[in-house]
Amino acid sequence: MATEVLWWIFAAAIVGASAGVVFSRSVLHAAIFLIGSMAGVGAMYVFLTVEFLALVQFLIYGGAVTVLILLALMLTRRDAAGRPEPVNGPQLPFALLLGISLVTILVAVALDTAWGDSGEGPANIAIETISERMFTGFGVPFVLSSVLLLVALIGAIILARQEEGE
Amino acid sequence: MLFADPLFGLPSWVDAIIRVVIVVMVMTIVVVYLTVGERWVVARFQQRLGPRKTGPGGILQGFADALKLVTKEDIRPTNADRWVFELAPYATFIPVLMTLMVLPFAKDWGVRNLALGLFYVFAILGLNIVGIMMAGLGSGNKYALLGGVRAAAQMISYEIPLVISLLCVVMITGADMGGGVGTLNLNVIAALQEDRPYIVLQPLAFLIFFTAMLSELHRAPFDIPVAESEIVGGYFVEYSGIRWSMFQLTEYASMWGFSVFGSVVFLGGWAWPFGVDAHWTVQLGTTLVKSLAFIIAIMWMRVTVPRLRIDQLMNFSWKVLLELSFVQLIVNGFILLYGWPQELLALTSGIGAVVLIALIIRHSTAKASKGLVGTYRTLGSTPQ
Repeated sequence: MATEVLWWIFAAAIVGASAGVVFSRSVLHAAIFLIGSMAGVGAMYVFLTVEFLALVQFLIYGGAVTVLILLALMLTRRDAAGRPEPVNGPQLPFALLLGISLVTILVAVALDTAWGDSGEGPANIAIETISERMFTGFGVPFVLSSVLLLVALIGAIILARQEEGE
Repeated sequence: MLFADPLFGLPSWVDAIIRVVIVVMVMTIVVVYLTVGERWVVARFQQRLGPRKTGPGGILQGFADALKLVTKEDIRPTNADRWVFELAPYATFIPVLMTLMVLPFAKDWGVRNLALGLFYVFAILGLNIVGIMMAGLGSGNKYALLGGVRAAAQMISYEIPLVISLLCVVMITGADMGGGVGTLNLNVIAALQEDRPYIVLQPLAFLIFFTAMLSELHRAPFDIPVAESEIVGGYFVEYSGIRWSMFQLTEYASMWGFSVFGSVVFLGGWAWPFGVDAHWTVQLGTTLVKSLAFIIAIMWMRVTVPRLRIDQLMNFSWKVLLELSFVQLIVNGFILLYGWPQELLALTSGIGAVVLIALIIRHSTAKASKGLVGTYRTLGSTPQ
């Protein structure tokens, strides 16, 4: 019962933060709302008792991705004071189209799915099980994705490196 | 997930609140005494007396400072982004407070005993950067912005060697538990070190952890984000009164938290050398003495080593610490996979630690031929 109440509170917080990302007039505020939204999703994983995924969510999306966005904002904005600035440009119709089609697909899928109620709560997945599946069952995709990330890293360094006399 | 039994048989959420309140109160007292303790230690190193007038021997100085800070005016610059500016101290402090929730201070003494405790600590501490960047971006000040950028770059870079050095220890817990499946539970990690602390097996990982920890805490010689003489305080330059003291509270609370965390992972926590069955007062005392040793080592570094430049700092992280930590991880993997004796771990890691220390000494004693210092030196030597 208490868990259910908490679930609704967190769900409302996630929706509120996500609305904040879209409607705030400053890119900085949008980025901070995005962190709140991501952290809320992480808390949802705790309700599903997959603590490992919750912590990964905090680490990757809360700590890394949004920090990257904030860092990009710091380095690129002309006005450091955080005053409102125009956020809508020529991309507005495309963003609208993309958003509406995504909402349509998600709603259609949600309505189309037969939501079974097994009557049991979610079971905790031990980290040993996750690592065993990842390193034995999905060993090759894991290595391939690491190679992909390494290539991306080296590519980024080559792009960012300043050649002599450039 | 919980500790064995809730206190006094209370419902688990009441028990959790009681434990949180106790930890927060202890943290406040520790922080008050760390601020004045740092002044005493630094004064001792610089052959001064330090604050001695408030109360007998100066023991009330910290409370006097705290009172002064909370009664000072809380100024918000008109140029600042209001909500970002006002929420930044909280966004910095809450992750640090949350990491204190999983630290075991003695056997079964802590708020919650998470199975993923070690992972939890560095996942939540990663959120700390967000508050610092909010302070840097929201203040509407160029110095604060510079401090925020420096803090973010530094903390992201040093997080990688920090995590890898902790993983080296987690690998060894796998061998200790049998079956090669390690643990991330901080209580179990402490209990596994009953016979020998992991610093004996992994001196290199400990050195990497300690260096990266100094950097994450913005302590000298890595206090580039808050360097007073360069950017007058960095990201919290615009803060005053209670919000400034929130940043101070965060700094000292995370210093204490990191010290307890490091003593649990590397120095044997509450278990070494008195064993897992010692009385809880002994275990609590062991943890406190070890974390105090950590804190004094941090202060010692502060008064001994001058501040690095930002390029030296980045080079040290990406070109030295990262490689050494990867080498440590791979060597550990080979030794543990083939079941070679653990003395070999201590030997290889010891050689690595000696190499790291030799590298640092060689660099610090080498005469500069490039840059500002080198230019001055060559200017002095050329005949006019």
